[in-house]
Amino acid sequence: MRRLIALTLVALCLSAGAAFARGVGIGAFAGMSVPVLQEDVDKGNMFGVRVPVNLVPLFTVEPYYASAALGEATESVGGIDYTREGFDEKAYGVNAMLTLGGPVTFYPYAGVGQTSLKRTGFDDSFTTFNFGLGLGISPAPKLSLHLRGELQTVVDGEASRKFGNVTVGASYALFSMP
Amino acid sequence: MIKNLRLWLPVTMLAALIASGCMLVSGQFIVPFKFIDVGADPVTVNSSTSLSGVAVDLNTVDVYADHKGDLKDVVDLALLGNLTNLDSGAGLTVEVWMVPTPGTMLTTDAAVRGATGAIKVWGPVTVAASGSKNIGWDESAALFTGRKQLIDEIKGDGRFDLYALGNNGYHFRITKGVLMAVISAGK
Repeated sequence: MRRLIALTLVALCLSAGAAFARGVGIGAFAGMSVPVLQEDVDKGNMFGVRVPVNLVPLFTVEPYYASAALGEATESVGGIDYTREGFDEKAYGVNAMLTLGGPVTFYPYAGVGQTSLKRTGFDDSFTTFNFGLGLGISPAPKLSLHLRGELQTVVDGEASRKFGNVTVGASYALFSMP
Repeated sequence: MIKNLRLWLPVTMLAALIASGCMLVSGQFIVPFKFIDVGADPVTVNSSTSLSGVAVDLNTVDVYADHKGDLKDVVDLALLGNLTNLDSGAGLTVEVWMVPTPGTMLTTDAAVRGATGAIKVWGPVTVAASGSKNIGWDESAALFTGRKQLIDEIKGDGRFDLYALGNNGYHFRITKGVLMAVISAGK
């Protein structure tokens, strides 16, 4: 139910935003997710899609969906290695970005969303915050390439799991106002 | 009004920083409690009236002791080791019970099940006649049934007793036993 409400909110944001939008694009990305101070899981590959919606000059909102396959962790106890499988991670949410125009641009961003972490004996969803810095390069009209580094914080009660994500991606402007 | 949307970024960033709270000084840490450290390796049980329990004291594990003051949650649990059915005539089903208040070790099935606060926390797992089974982390993590009660004890004083009870026979041995807990801790 919580997931349905969150998805609905994202959809509403997207549709409302699109109605006012100065530009809408679509993009895909891939990269690496690295757990920070987590001994029970290892780094893994991630990929996803983003829909940047430029609402006003300098400001863009960006619904996203991401998936990651985090690596297994091994702990040696008494000379025996024990292995715990990594999480199957699914995340969705909305980023807010300060975007400048031009062929090369740096942009800070922050976002909120939901992340589900699943592995044998564990399956739960959490509120997630992320913030980071992106580098965008536009080699051709309507096309831009992005390199991003972000810290993703998955809030679990009084504690949190943190991931450092590095991704590269490309986006295509479906339409944009001059 | 739409220009107010620009406030989203700093507001969201601030929320992220506040919500992540202990962002830079928290983490998930593995706490392995080896049964051999309390002389419980192997644990051999030959009848329902001659049990051998494991007195768990996580305070003896450095990682737990280091983080006990800022322990926020227990996010993963597993009981690991090798389980051997010493009965050649019948299969064996074993489950693990916890007695939350440590004291004199109990020696009978009835005493464990009837102890104050006693609860089944893990299992069952089945081993064929004369069979042996290595219990891995993933398999074990899925077999917890009294997760909340065990987590409460770990978040409490970290001391409790564990007993392996046989539902279908009482002739088995546990070797290289380990209670593996993953704790979330942060300041």
